[in-house]
Amino acid sequence: MTHYAMVIDLNTCVGCNACMAACALENQTPVWADRFRTYVHDRESFSGNEVHRHFMPRLCNHCDNPPCMSVCPTGATSKLSTGVVMVDENLCMGCQACAMACPYGARYEVTYKDIKLGKEFYGVLKRNAPSMDKCSFCNHRLVNNELPACVSTCVGSSRLFGDLDNDMDPVTKLVKSGKAVPLMAHLGTRPNVYYIPAR
Amino acid sequence: METVTFATQNVWTWWFAIYLFLGGMGAASISLAIATDRFLKPHKTLVLWGVVGGVMMLNLGSMILFIHLLHHTAVLVLFTPFAIINQPGAWIAWGTQFIMWVQIAGLLYAMSYLRESTFWLNFPLAGTVIKSTAFARIADFGARFRGLFAWLAMLAGFGTAAYTGLLLQSFPAVTLWHNPAVPVLFTVSAFSTALAYLMLVMLVFIRNREDHALQVLFERTDVLLLALELFIIYTLFNFTLSGSESGYRSATLLWESPMWVVGFLGLGLLLPFLVELRSLLKGWSGSAPMVIACILILNGGYILRHMFMYSGVYAFPW
Repeated sequence: MTHYAMVIDLNTCVGCNACMAACALENQTPVWADRFRTYVHDRESFSGNEVHRHFMPRLCNHCDNPPCMSVCPTGATSKLSTGVVMVDENLCMGCQACAMACPYGARYEVTYKDIKLGKEFYGVLKRNAPSMDKCSFCNHRLVNNELPACVSTCVGSSRLFGDLDNDMDPVTKLVKSGKAVPLMAHLGTRPNVYYIPAR
Repeated sequence: METVTFATQNVWTWWFAIYLFLGGMGAASISLAIATDRFLKPHKTLVLWGVVGGVMMLNLGSMILFIHLLHHTAVLVLFTPFAIINQPGAWIAWGTQFIMWVQIAGLLYAMSYLRESTFWLNFPLAGTVIKSTAFARIADFGARFRGLFAWLAMLAGFGTAAYTGLLLQSFPAVTLWHNPAVPVLFTVSAFSTALAYLMLVMLVFIRNREDHALQVLFERTDVLLLALELFIIYTLFNFTLSGSESGYRSATLLWESPMWVVGFLGLGLLLPFLVELRSLLKGWSGSAPMVIACILILNGGYILRHMFMYSGVYAFPW
């Protein structure tokens, strides 16, 4: 079996936002409304006269116990055997309960207006129906043995992608060593995106 | 990784509070009116006020939710019972079924009463429909299985009232919502507001002296519900004020809001509780204090849900 996971090294993320751009183009997200499947937060902290910048990339955590899936009334959100949490835009009625349930703020809406604007912006739009949207780990690329767009474009190799069921995978080693940790594990969501904390 | 951003949501706002308020009150009104007619005192007028009013509230609330959906035609899948088999953990799927069945059963229960109501028979358009043969046949069917439809309406009504709280409880990131007090609070509040609505109808529109004993029973029940609501609010704050930063911030947001402290706790709970208690112990010379108390309870019911939607705090790790 395959169990996909991502590790993000916060020490090597330089905040170039290439992941956001690559994802937006790959998945045709409504950038005009500042809605992205992955987003890099830029924070500053101060110690004495020193200013530090921190970058925190975030995306759907593809939880093994996804609250967005259990609250979805139409079954539009489902989990593949590979661990990827998917949204069926044709089944989604857009009640936005998933956005309320997600502790990672990973969900955003695609409206009728976005569909119209998307056709003008991207030329040919892959989607036809409005729905809630989120990262799919670029599942359409995974089935072709390609890495997610954000991973393949990451200049600092901050994003690593792998298979947790493969003990030899560098991602599995980082997770098992405890160097990479999930976000808000106490909520019981069992996320599959791990972070190596900044030193 | 230590950075945490605390944020309230702007996805489900005032309009969702209206949906929760009208949904809970409407369904509980149907349940209570039918329960009164079956077990306390046959009261056709009250059933009509409860059922017709309840159906209107439920439809208005559902319409507000429907308008805010992103993909309107996709909602059709929820109207079959397969929705809850497919997604048993999704409270919106359950809620849609409850809302649908409380209205169907409530209307089937009340249809034969509509045919006896001079007001409705003379009502433009509705009167014509009520006088039709098709309506009479359905009404007869409803009357034949009145007991069954009564139980179906009462259970689905309770389910709808409970669903409004269970839905919020299913969101794990927000401590204010994700705790066992919320479904109980919302259910109690739904029945309290429904009692206030029915009492208001009895005091302002029905005005029948023979209903005095029923009015007193409603007041007694509502006093207990208001006291229970106050106790649940206390336990909720006892829980949220320690244990998590999200809960603490939610509690702070509520306590610092005059709308919550004055509008809900003071005028929406405590004052009506005292007015009803005085009514039971010494009585009032007129109906005005009780009418005002009922209006305040209704107002408080909405404020509770409004403030809950705006005070749920997420703790994002960035």
